[in-house]
Amino acid sequence: MSLTFLQAFLIINILIIGILIAIAIRHLLAHLRPQPEEHRLAHSNENSIKLPKEVKEKLLKTAQINFQTVLDHSASELQRDLKITATQVNHRLEKLSQQMINDEMKLYHTSLEELRQQAEANIKAAQVEIDNHQAELKSQLATKQAELEAEMRQEVAAEKQSLLEQIDTKLADAVMALLTETLGHNVDLGAQNAYLIATLEEHKKDLKKGLIDEN
Amino acid sequence: MKIKLPDSVASPQDIDGLITEIHEYARWFSHESIKVNAGIKQTSDQPILSPPTTEMLQNWQKQNSLSQTSLDSLISSLKEYLTNAPTIAIILAAPVTNSTRDKLVKWCRQNIATNVLVEFSFNSTLLGGLVVRYGSRIFDWSFRSRLLAASNNFTKVLRNV
Repeated sequence: MSLTFLQAFLIINILIIGILIAIAIRHLLAHLRPQPEEHRLAHSNENSIKLPKEVKEKLLKTAQINFQTVLDHSASELQRDLKITATQVNHRLEKLSQQMINDEMKLYHTSLEELRQQAEANIKAAQVEIDNHQAELKSQLATKQAELEAEMRQEVAAEKQSLLEQIDTKLADAVMALLTETLGHNVDLGAQNAYLIATLEEHKKDLKKGLIDEN
Repeated sequence: MKIKLPDSVASPQDIDGLITEIHEYARWFSHESIKVNAGIKQTSDQPILSPPTTEMLQNWQKQNSLSQTSLDSLISSLKEYLTNAPTIAIILAAPVTNSTRDKLVKWCRQNIATNVLVEFSFNSTLLGGLVVRYGSRIFDWSFRSRLLAASNNFTKVLRNV
């Protein structure tokens, strides 16, 4: 809006300056081409009054001086008006530019503030989101850690149990081998008679049943 | 005719030996009978018989008069016994002694079947006890199997020591 006003103001100023320049040019041309008027006056003078040459020259000189004075005066007036106009235009332009700069700066500041607030809000939202995500990750990490710890404990327990079983088996095998090696060559069946009979007595039913089933 | 074997005759191999000896004895007896009938005074020595065979013949003689026919009948009865009698195998941790064999055979004939035959063998890895096999059935009552079966208890006991 301010731009449109400035443009209109400048156009008006240019129009005024144009009018003034046109008037000045017209006056200048009027002064520079006096012959038809002089001819007309000369003819009229010839027709009416015959003036002596000295008077004519004097009058002409006086007229020239007057015209020159008027012309100088008009030129100085025009120059002064132009100066004032230029000063006013400069002043106006300066004021207008200052206002425009102020408006633009205000707008810039407003936009900047909005952007800053928006950025701040975005940063806050992002911070909240990051905090939530961090909390979620921490929770997941804690859960996973607990699961892994439980799994690891189970695996360690299973491994321990397996090793214990292996040790037991090896130990039992070793003892068995020792017993086999030690007792295998020193068996006294005579001492085992009672045991053998007792064993057969204990499993008498199984033996009888086996015989019946096989027959 | 029903035969009662001495406890020392336990296995089919023992009966085979018994049959062989009785067969030899029957042949000798036949020859001697012919010599007696022919009036030939020269006699040959009686074949040496094992104690079970002697016992068997003595028992047989108590029930039947000793003749070629009765001896043939005894051999036939023994062969029939061998065919029909159930046989079990007992595996021990050491070679069986006579006393142990007699006790086990006696027990088997008293408690399982009167005509049962028992084959003995040994496996030193059994450590003790016995394994009884009858047909497709195996009853393992050896020390080894008991130790193996109780290996878990064994380790528990070791831990408590």
